[in-house]
Amino acid sequence: MDPVSLRDRAVSGGPPKDGIPSIDDPNFVSAEAESVRLNPGDPVFGVTTGNTTKAYPQSILVQHEICNDTIDDTPVSVTYCPLTGTAMGFERGDTTFGVSGRLINNNLIMYDRATEAWWPQVLATSIPGPWKEEPPTRSLQEFRVVWTTWERWTSKHPETEVLSRDTGHARNYDYDPYGSYDPRRGYYSLREPPMFPALFEDDRLQPKDIVIGARTPGGAVAFQKHRLSEEKLVESTLDETPVLAVYEPDLHTGYVYRNPEQRQYEYEDGQIRDADGDTHPPEDLPLTRILAFDAMWFAWYGFYPDTTLYA
Amino acid sequence: MPDSTVTETTQRGPQVLAKTVAALEAAASRWDARGVFLLSAAVYFVVYLVTVGDISVVGGGTGAFEVRIADDLSRAFASRGFFRFDAIAVISGGPFTYLLSPLNALVALVLSGLVGANLALTYLGVIQPRACGLESSTGVLAGVPALLSGAACCGPTILLVVGVQASATIITGFQLLIPLAVVLLVGGLLLIGRQVDPDLL
Repeated sequence: MDPVSLRDRAVSGGPPKDGIPSIDDPNFVSAEAESVRLNPGDPVFGVTTGNTTKAYPQSILVQHEICNDTIDDTPVSVTYCPLTGTAMGFERGDTTFGVSGRLINNNLIMYDRATEAWWPQVLATSIPGPWKEEPPTRSLQEFRVVWTTWERWTSKHPETEVLSRDTGHARNYDYDPYGSYDPRRGYYSLREPPMFPALFEDDRLQPKDIVIGARTPGGAVAFQKHRLSEEKLVESTLDETPVLAVYEPDLHTGYVYRNPEQRQYEYEDGQIRDADGDTHPPEDLPLTRILAFDAMWFAWYGFYPDTTLYA
Repeated sequence: MPDSTVTETTQRGPQVLAKTVAALEAAASRWDARGVFLLSAAVYFVVYLVTVGDISVVGGGTGAFEVRIADDLSRAFASRGFFRFDAIAVISGGPFTYLLSPLNALVALVLSGLVGANLALTYLGVIQPRACGLESSTGVLAGVPALLSGAACCGPTILLVVGVQASATIITGFQLLIPLAVVLLVGGLLLIGRQVDPDLL
């Protein structure tokens, strides 16, 4: 879909611009300090770099959707759209992102406060909007945000920092207006339809089934998360290039790699063994990793109807 | 003849208003009608704030009493949706949490006052020694639309409950629910006020 067509498919979700306020001055606390407020099964969005490990609780981001943060001196935005179940990280440069109040394919449309161009979260690309009619088409530099649970994240990263409820805003972080993930209820239930009609529809999976998706300018591929957790290693293709999806059991997530030479790997107790007998962690195979993220199936298919699906 | 029609119409409006005011004064002078007003207004006030998410109860909550104030108090005027405004403080204790949004409370106060007045006059209409007609009791139903407008975040969550998918038209319709409720409640009040005769009480 071209950018102008996308703009025409934008709908108001109800709140006006910044009616859902981004967190612009985040504070972080230790895992120990926050453990009294989070249950083991609560979803958190984890980010790790060489020097920093941070968790952003879903219970906080559901009220703000965007956290304008700085990680390792790089200005970033960690973003979450509750209606599409997507948590994504972007380098934001010198600007900050806000919540426009509009949705495309149920997905959060961010706007940047420097040019006021619209940026649909999943597409990570600028499109025209009423506040910036003809922005140059640009895409954001993305980084991996892992969707996992509080228990899994702190077990793997006990030193993690956690986004504090001290956001400067008066919001109820014990209340999710859409439902709950532990157990899945309300809007998050597998069979529930999306809030607004999707751009394209497909019934191979239930609307809220979770896929781990990866996309390039030439194509898209999705792996049903549940199947990946059973199969551990799955081969597929993305834009006619072989790719390999790898399950990571500690965080219950997956990674997608280009595998043009179709090298063979084996899964062994959470580690990946190559043909030479060397083992690698699932997140660090000697292949080129493609950015991948969790998404509700209806949302992924709505944006990428030509996607390959492994389910 | 057209002149007499105009005269009749202009007289009818003030007459209805005067009768409603007289009925409200009669209600205010009686302890039982005051009780109906206060009880129904209080119930509606709380129910409205629950539907917009300002009052919530989390099962099993045992947190200590806590008050958090927002950094930017001007957020009190920030719109969060249709006739919904941001909170400037979180007051929580045990399983209860109240988001203090002055403008949401003001909207709730206006609506609950109208609902309470409708019910108080309906009560008077029932106890006065003359049948008042079914229409008297329908006025309070006018308060229902405002209860459906609440808890909008990205789309009104009431749609999740009734299983209806949102559209641009539906979202636009939701913007009208609170003005509609006010118009219906005022209309209901005038309708009932017209039928209550303070001399019969």
